[in-house]
Amino acid sequence: MEQNTDLKIKNLHKSFGKNKVLNGIDFELKEGERVVVLGPSGSGKSTFLRCINWMEEPTSGEIYLDGELVTEKNVRRIRRNIGMVFQHFNLINNLTVMDNLILAPMKLKLMKRAAAEKRAKQLLKHIGLLDKADSFPASLSGGQKQRVAIVRAMMLSPEVLLFDEPTSALDPESIGDVLSLIRELADRGMTIMIVTHEMSFAKEIATRIVFIDKGKIIEEGTPKEFFSHPKTPRVKEFLKKVL
Amino acid sequence: MNDFFSKIGELFSTSSYIDSLLHGFLLTMQIAYFAILIGVFLGTIIALIDTAKPSKWLAIPKFICKVYTTIIRGTPMALQLFIMFFVIFAIKGFPSIITAILAFGLNSAAYTAEVIRGGILSVDKGQTEAGLALGLSRYTIFMKIVAPQAIKNIIPALGNEIITVIKETAIVSMVGMYDLNMAAKDIGSGQNMASYLVPMVVAALFYLATIYLITFIVQRVEKSLRKSDLRAEK
Repeated sequence: MEQNTDLKIKNLHKSFGKNKVLNGIDFELKEGERVVVLGPSGSGKSTFLRCINWMEEPTSGEIYLDGELVTEKNVRRIRRNIGMVFQHFNLINNLTVMDNLILAPMKLKLMKRAAAEKRAKQLLKHIGLLDKADSFPASLSGGQKQRVAIVRAMMLSPEVLLFDEPTSALDPESIGDVLSLIRELADRGMTIMIVTHEMSFAKEIATRIVFIDKGKIIEEGTPKEFFSHPKTPRVKEFLKKVL
Repeated sequence: MNDFFSKIGELFSTSSYIDSLLHGFLLTMQIAYFAILIGVFLGTIIALIDTAKPSKWLAIPKFICKVYTTIIRGTPMALQLFIMFFVIFAIKGFPSIITAILAFGLNSAAYTAEVIRGGILSVDKGQTEAGLALGLSRYTIFMKIVAPQAIKNIIPALGNEIITVIKETAIVSMVGMYDLNMAAKDIGSGQNMASYLVPMVVAALFYLATIYLITFIVQRVEKSLRKSDLRAEK
């Protein structure tokens, strides 16, 4: 079968009680791809992303990472390979920046403390926050928190990085910092999925755009196709409003 | 007024009165101490079951916990004490202090469970999600992330519960136990001082001093827990 498919999703459904949010999503993500998920609010794009690493347990459907079906039994191991960055950063409040970075690699016995700290310092230095290593998240700005959160996800060297509206809770100045860090990861060949409302960033960074409406993928294509020659009326209408 | 001070003099100079007060105080403290231990232990278990992710294994324990807290919180403490004394442990020669400790411990557990549950639920869901996304186990997430944050919210309310238990033990005098409250009544009775005012004021001061001390300790603990927040603001 396909050699370098990182992620494959078949007929994914998700309901919250009677509310059907995802209505059969089929999707594939290949290594090195950068997919931006767009759609109106309430379309299910965040839920889609959150189902991939079972932050929300799918109601039905199949998710494969490197050909392995994600189940309740192996989801913990699979999550190590799927990094996630949240809208509200979710740095662990009672741990310092350093401990936020080294907690998972150490607890999962992937690294010894010294090695984890060394790597954490390198990454913090890279994003210019080495002096914050011993600070608690409360003392960081939003942009700093999000960059630490991205670096925290990178500590586990995931195969795929999921971004759930990573800049929606940030001020304009911080948005730039966070986007340039994501851009840098992209340039280094990281496989990425992003749910975002930053259209120009989507256009710039995506290798593929996926448009979700009412819990289904209704259009996908390269940014050029998508933004210049939308096929469906729904996307035309959406683009008219947001551009 | 003169009479009041002479009565105080009489109370503190009569060793049998002092003995009675201290004995009563000791019993009050013993009941409260062990009841609080039981309450915190059992309350923690109930809260953990209650806040755990629903699963078929936990459905029945969760239901039992709900029924338990509903019954305990929905009926008077004094009635629960009577049921323990006159129904469940109506065994000749069974030590009444144990019955009392169990009655207050089982009661306090329901309230403590609510306090702990509230503390756990007050921790932002995103904190747990961060741990899950990193592949951590639920146990690690609880021990390293949720519990340390929940404790900050639990301590003040738990202090309140401790104070409530200490004061509420005074109703053991209703089943004839000689606690601080009962001692005050006994000393003031006709066969002894024949005046209730002074022994009751003194008993009140005993309670007050104890609770003041506990409030002080709880505040110190709170402060030291908040230090990590202060460090964070630097």
